[in-house]
Amino acid sequence: MLGRTEGIVLRSRPFGEADLILEYLTRDFGVRSAFAKSPRKIKSRFGGSLEPFIHSRISLLGREDASLPKLTQSDIMTSFQPLREDIKALLQATEFAELILKLLPEREPAPRVFELLLWALSTLQSMTMLHGMIMSTGGAAAGANASGVTAPAAVKNERETRERWQFIPAVFKARLLSLTGYAPSLRGCARCGAGSRVFYPREGALLCGACARSGPSLEISAALPGIYRNLSEWPLEKIMRIRPSSGLLAELKKFIHVHLAEGIAVTVKSAKFGHGPAE
Amino acid sequence: MPQGIIENLIEQLSKLPGVGRKSAQRMAFFILNMKDEDARALAGAIGAVKTNARFCKACFNITDSDLCSICRDSLRDRKRICVVEEPSNIIVIERSGGFNGLYHVLMGALSPIDGITPDMLRIKELAQRVSGNGVDEVIIATNPNTKGEVTAKYVREALSPYDVAVTRIAYGLPLGGDIEFADEITMKKSLEGRRKLD
Ligand SMILES: [Zn+2]
Ligand SMILES: [Zn+2]
Repeated sequence: MLGRTEGIVLRSRPFGEADLILEYLTRDFGVRSAFAKSPRKIKSRFGGSLEPFIHSRISLLGREDASLPKLTQSDIMTSFQPLREDIKALLQATEFAELILKLLPEREPAPRVFELLLWALSTLQSMTMLHGMIMSTGGAAAGANASGVTAPAAVKNERETRERWQFIPAVFKARLLSLTGYAPSLRGCARCGAGSRVFYPREGALLCGACARSGPSLEISAALPGIYRNLSEWPLEKIMRIRPSSGLLAELKKFIHVHLAEGIAVTVKSAKFGHGPAE
Repeated sequence: MPQGIIENLIEQLSKLPGVGRKSAQRMAFFILNMKDEDARALAGAIGAVKTNARFCKACFNITDSDLCSICRDSLRDRKRICVVEEPSNIIVIERSGGFNGLYHVLMGALSPIDGITPDMLRIKELAQRVSGNGVDEVIIATNPNTKGEVTAKYVREALSPYDVAVTRIAYGLPLGGDIEFADEITMKKSLEGRRKLD
C-alpha cells in the first residue's frame, strides 16, 4: 500500500469536469501520478494546495503498483508562493520539474532527488526575493540616492545576486544528472585515459585527439571538470559557498546545455518562453 | 432490433467528458424511450452546433454569425472588456449579472510545462482591440491558479503601451466557506485583496 508521504507538485492536468491528474515527486515513492477528485470546484477541500511546486504532506490511496492512486489529503508544508508570482522564477522552477519528469523513471523511489528539488526551490525562492529587494531599493537609489544605498553598490549587488540565482540551475542539473545516471565523464579521455579538453556530447565524455570521433564537440577550460565535480559532490548545505567567476559560470551553463540537448537529447518545453516578458 | 444500433449510441455517448460506460448505457436507453420529437431536437442541436458554430471575429466567443450576440448588442458597455480563458466562462459571468461590458476569449491559458506560449493565445488580438478605440478598462478574469496568473501577467504586459486600466478579479474565500478550512495561500490572497467596508 502507498500512504502518507511528502510530495512536490511537478505538473497537473485537468481531467473530466472538475478533477485533476497530478504528477508528484514524493519523498518515499518517487515520481507518482495521482488522481484528485473535484479540486477545481471552488469549495474543494484541497483549496490552493495542488498548484505547481507546492510541497505538502499528502496521502495516496492505492496499492504500491497502482498506476493512478487517489489523493485523499494534501496539507501545505511549503507553499513556494513567491516562485509562482515571479515569471522568471516560475519558468526556472518549471524547468526543474520538466527535467525530473524526463530523467527520472516513474515509481522509482528517489529520496535524494526529492531533497535536491526541495533545496533548489527553497534557494531559488530566497534568491528571487533577495533580487527583488535589491531591484526595488537599488532602483530608488540610482535615482534619488535616498535609501542610503549608493548606486554602484546596488548595481554590483544586483549582478552578484543574479549570478547566484543562475548558479542554482547549474547545481540542480549537475546533481540531477548524477542521480539519474546521466553524468558526463570528465576524467580524461574516456577510451585511453590520456588528457583531453574536448567534450563529445554524443559520447557523453572527453576524448583525446587520437581517439576522437566525428560529430559535434565542445572545448572546455581546465577549470570545468573540477567545478563540475564539486557541484555534483559537495553537500547541499555548503554548495552555495562555491562561487565560480562569471566566465566559468557561463561556461558551466553552456556545457550542461550541450550535454542535455545534444548528448541525451533532452529539451524542455518551458524553454519556448525565453526569459519571460520584459520587466 | 439489431444489437449494434444501441451499442453504437453507447459508444458515441461515452466519448463525452465525465461519461463512463455505465452512464452512457443509461443515457442510451433513456434516449431510446424519449419522445420522437425530443430525440430529433437533440440530434438536430448537435448537428447545428457542428455546422454553424464558429468563433466571433471580435471576441472569440462561440456564435453562429460573424459577431456574437454580445458584441452585436448595442446596450452593452463598450468601454469595458472582460478577458476569459474559455468561451464557457462567459456563460458563468453572464449568469451572475455582474457585468455588462464586452468579452475577450483567450482560447486557453499559458502553461510553460505544456509549451503553451503567448503566441498561441489571442493576446495580440486583445491588444489590437484595446489600441483601437475607447476602451477604459480591461478586467482579467482568468482562473485563480498558476496558469491563469501567468496569463494575467502576460496580458497586463501586452497592454502596458495603452492608456487603459487593467484590473484583476478578486481572490478570496468562497462564499459560505469557513476561515477555519482555508489553506494558507487562499488566506494570504484574501488578505492582500481586502477592501474598505463602506
Ligand atoms: Zn584517447
Ligand atoms: Zn463577440
